[in-house]
Amino acid sequence: MFEYLFFLSSGLFLGWSLGANDASNIFGTAVGTKMLRFTTAAIIASIFLVLGAVFSGQNTAETLNALGEVNTLPAAFTVSLSSALAVLMMLKSGISVSISQAIVGGIIGWNVYNHKPTDTETLTNICATWIFCPIISGVIAVGLYICVKKLLHHSKVHILWQDMAVRVGMILTTALGGFALGANNMANVVGVFIDSNVLSPLKLGNFYTLSSTQVLFFLGAVAACIGVFTYSQKAIKTVGKNVLSFSPTVAWIVILSQSLVLILFSSENLENFLISMNLPPLPAVPVSSTQAVIGAIVGIGLVKGGKGIKWSLILRVVSGWVATPVIAFILSFILLFFMENVFKQTIFMP
Amino acid sequence: MFNVKISLFARTRDLEHNIDSLHDKIIEMTMVFKEAVDIYLQEMRSEKYRQTSKKIKIIEHDSDTLRREIESKLYEQNLIPDLRGNILELVENLDRVINLFDEVAHKFYIERPDIPEAYHKQLRELVNQVADCAENMAIASRAFFRDLVTLRDYSKKVYLLEHQSDKTAAKLRNEVFDSDLDLARKMQINNFIEEVADIADLAEDCIDALLIFAIKREI
Repeated sequence: MFEYLFFLSSGLFLGWSLGANDASNIFGTAVGTKMLRFTTAAIIASIFLVLGAVFSGQNTAETLNALGEVNTLPAAFTVSLSSALAVLMMLKSGISVSISQAIVGGIIGWNVYNHKPTDTETLTNICATWIFCPIISGVIAVGLYICVKKLLHHSKVHILWQDMAVRVGMILTTALGGFALGANNMANVVGVFIDSNVLSPLKLGNFYTLSSTQVLFFLGAVAACIGVFTYSQKAIKTVGKNVLSFSPTVAWIVILSQSLVLILFSSENLENFLISMNLPPLPAVPVSSTQAVIGAIVGIGLVKGGKGIKWSLILRVVSGWVATPVIAFILSFILLFFMENVFKQTIFMP
Repeated sequence: MFNVKISLFARTRDLEHNIDSLHDKIIEMTMVFKEAVDIYLQEMRSEKYRQTSKKIKIIEHDSDTLRREIESKLYEQNLIPDLRGNILELVENLDRVINLFDEVAHKFYIERPDIPEAYHKQLRELVNQVADCAENMAIASRAFFRDLVTLRDYSKKVYLLEHQSDKTAAKLRNEVFDSDLDLARKMQINNFIEEVADIADLAEDCIDALLIFAIKREI
């Protein structure tokens, strides 16, 4: 048990990075536009992040397992650690990055190190979401932007009530975003530890028992909450204020689009529904909330004529999307070598 | 929690009411000012003028109170953070227009200018144009809070009326200086014409700022 918790620490570190990095995507714009206080937003997002992770977080884990079933505890530790370090490096340089990409880079590093073939279909699926996620988010944001603009134009609601509605909307969306992040992204954090999980199920009174996997997801979520409170304010400065000068309404549309995209990519029900309608399904894949936010911001920026977007900053963020998986891959490969040859740990069970 | 929400709604409704009332005060002021000048031209500083002048003072005082309430509520309740500065500036501008109406009316009361009847018609025309200009500014400003298209429509009217009032004032001043009145009277009447016309200029400045705020208000 102690050994498991020790190795899980890198997963929790990655969880912390998720909270520190991705919380800014959920409520960064709301806090940046001074519509919500940081503490209020952080508390709401944290509560729903835990709920999303525990009750809906396992759908996306299957996809990651299909990519590479990291099947020993030291290997899971190393993959997680290399991903977390990659994220931290990018975060330190002020670039909001994607945990999903880091963990994918880490897992492929494990595959390559062990001469194990990577499931190209799953990898293609995941890489496709890296392209489609910002595009879908942008399309949703543009749709919402046009609708809200038309609605405001016709309804002639007083500016004070608009402000109130946006505030309420932001609180609800922060909750939805927190849930979506927990549901979609927690697999990135603790997914690699599922196979080697030794945690016991947890009884919550007489009503509900959390399975051992749910307990694992709960621990990851708690780590993410710590990240939200301890470090996310710095990341908010990147996304919330710098990329585009937002009005609060636009800020709300951005976080709503982002949350909806994360929900779309976490729901198995939706995937089954789309398949039954003979439509291309949206797989339950951990996507990047950062990409979703950037997609939404660029979408709205383009509709507004493209003048307000700071392209140089966008370019920096996008370059981070390429750098993150590559750094995580390299770190994973090197650290696995050390783990196997210096610390004499088993990193692959045939 | 429920109580907090209820009071938040109540406070927002109060503030909305205050903003509307401030605009009502401007419209009321324009009507009373027209009436005051009309009385003055007929009766000079009569009791009736004194009463009307008092009404103007009360409107000015009420609008000052409203302005202070709006300003403090906006900050205390942390409302509309992105536009709060603009709204404060707008409210200050509206108050400046009201103050100028009051100053001019008071100046008539104190200085008691003797305006020859030959200029009454044109002076009334100027006062009507200026009052209409301020009234349209108030409607435009009210629209800023609800409907930006209406804001543009009324802004156009303000610009038009300000231009007309400028022309009327220039013509009137020309006629005054072409007359046989002694220089002191000419200067005094000219001074009054300028002050009345300044109200329209101030209303125009207010609209200029408002249109900039409106660009920011677009989502």
